[in-house]
Amino acid sequence: MSDETIISQLKKSFLFRGLPDKVLIELGRKATKRKLAKDAVLMRRGDVGDSLFMIVQGWFKIVAEDANGNELAINQTGPGETIGEMALLDQAPRSATVIASSDAEVLELKQDAFYEILDQRPDLAMELIRSFSSRLRFSTTYIQKAIEWSQKISAGDYSFIENTLTMSQAEGTDEDKASQLLSAFFQMVHNVKDREDQLKKQVENLILQIDETRRRQEFEEITSTDFYADLKEQAKKLRAQRAAQQQNEK
Amino acid sequence: MSSGKIISIHSFRGGTGKSNTAANLAALVALAGKRVGVVDTDIQSPGIHVLFGLDENKMGKTLNDFLHGKCAISEVAFNIGEKAIDAEGRAKLAGKNLWLFPCSIRGREISQIIREGYDVNRLNEGFQTILKELNLDYLFIDTHPGLNEETLLSIAISDVLIIILRPDNQDLQGTAVTVDIARSLDVPNLILMVNKAVPKYDFNNIKKQIEDTFKASVAGVLPLSFDLADNASKDLFSLRYPDHDWSKALRGVADVILAVK
Repeated sequence: MSDETIISQLKKSFLFRGLPDKVLIELGRKATKRKLAKDAVLMRRGDVGDSLFMIVQGWFKIVAEDANGNELAINQTGPGETIGEMALLDQAPRSATVIASSDAEVLELKQDAFYEILDQRPDLAMELIRSFSSRLRFSTTYIQKAIEWSQKISAGDYSFIENTLTMSQAEGTDEDKASQLLSAFFQMVHNVKDREDQLKKQVENLILQIDETRRRQEFEEITSTDFYADLKEQAKKLRAQRAAQQQNEK
Repeated sequence: MSSGKIISIHSFRGGTGKSNTAANLAALVALAGKRVGVVDTDIQSPGIHVLFGLDENKMGKTLNDFLHGKCAISEVAFNIGEKAIDAEGRAKLAGKNLWLFPCSIRGREISQIIREGYDVNRLNEGFQTILKELNLDYLFIDTHPGLNEETLLSIAISDVLIIILRPDNQDLQGTAVTVDIARSLDVPNLILMVNKAVPKYDFNNIKKQIEDTFKASVAGVLPLSFDLADNASKDLFSLRYPDHDWSKALRGVADVILAVK
């Protein structure tokens, strides 16, 4: 792999984007070459990671397991891509399994080698912090947008969809995950709004009807008793009394 | 005799939310500064006391005692503004003038009054006494569903009859008969209230259809609400959740009551 190729490959990762070419070449030289046969496992989900891989040639599938333990390819990646760069810093368990889907060759950069360079060049640490900080700022902006929109959605306000059309069109061009999340979110809001509009259109008119014969029969049944006649008489008297009373009070 | 108004809350069938509506309306009117009484005349299946946080232990004399001649009606009065402010919604009634006249919830006393009956005239005397002695602006009567004698009496003597119905044909049929009876008894103000309307229907259309059918005004169409069911009569919903759609619509009905001359 030429220095040029290594530089351009490392620069695809946000972590190395701001570092001088000289350092990237040095990093490339510390990396060791590894060959993998088709179906060999590069990393397994849950393993402690302590190195990043640059794919020189061949293809890899990123694999998750479904509820029954069956292998499920969720993505694939190939020449020019970098995998697992966060392991250089945090040694967190690998988040997915990566398997070679063809014969392949990678350059592996170990955490030790990376730290060695950092020891020699403290200014690089500063540069790394800077790129983390800008990434964090970037993510926060998106999260804030998502919060703002969520609040609007719960209040039934979908007006922002019209004003933010460009955001959804950015999908596919921006590789950043935060942007992808927002695109998915945006799509979801679109779907929810469509469903709601559909429901509103379906507002039905209830058809109410009365059986007039039954109405008359029941009325006769109740009003034909002595009790009713007496009640009607009493009610009339009572109302008259109260009307007179109120008249007097005035 | 007092110039207070008798407001009967009625529904032809059970399950319309009658007691809940009666309790919340009475509370809203009391909250507006009026002197309010609530009588539970649903002797066979009393329920309104629960909404005011009254249980068997707190209950003293009941309407049953009065109807059997064992006490005066004033002894039955339970002062809600003083005693039943133990829940978030009800607490807003502290210091307000609201009295509840509960029925007995003891099985033996209920079966006795159903078996032996009682003099409906005594019930009427009780209403008049309450209005006068407590100097009430409004006396709400929570009636038993259907059209039995004490319900007919409540309708006959009421100044305002509120009929609660769900938007379905069975309730509409029963309401038709009740409306005819109310007109035959010259009830001066007839108000309809639709409760438990399923939100997928057009509420304005429901209101118009029912108003056209009965030539009477519909004071509100209130939505069927899971939130209300979830409250499970533990508190006065419209006081606890004043911003809920159901509460807002009920305030509209309370305003109609307050506007009756």
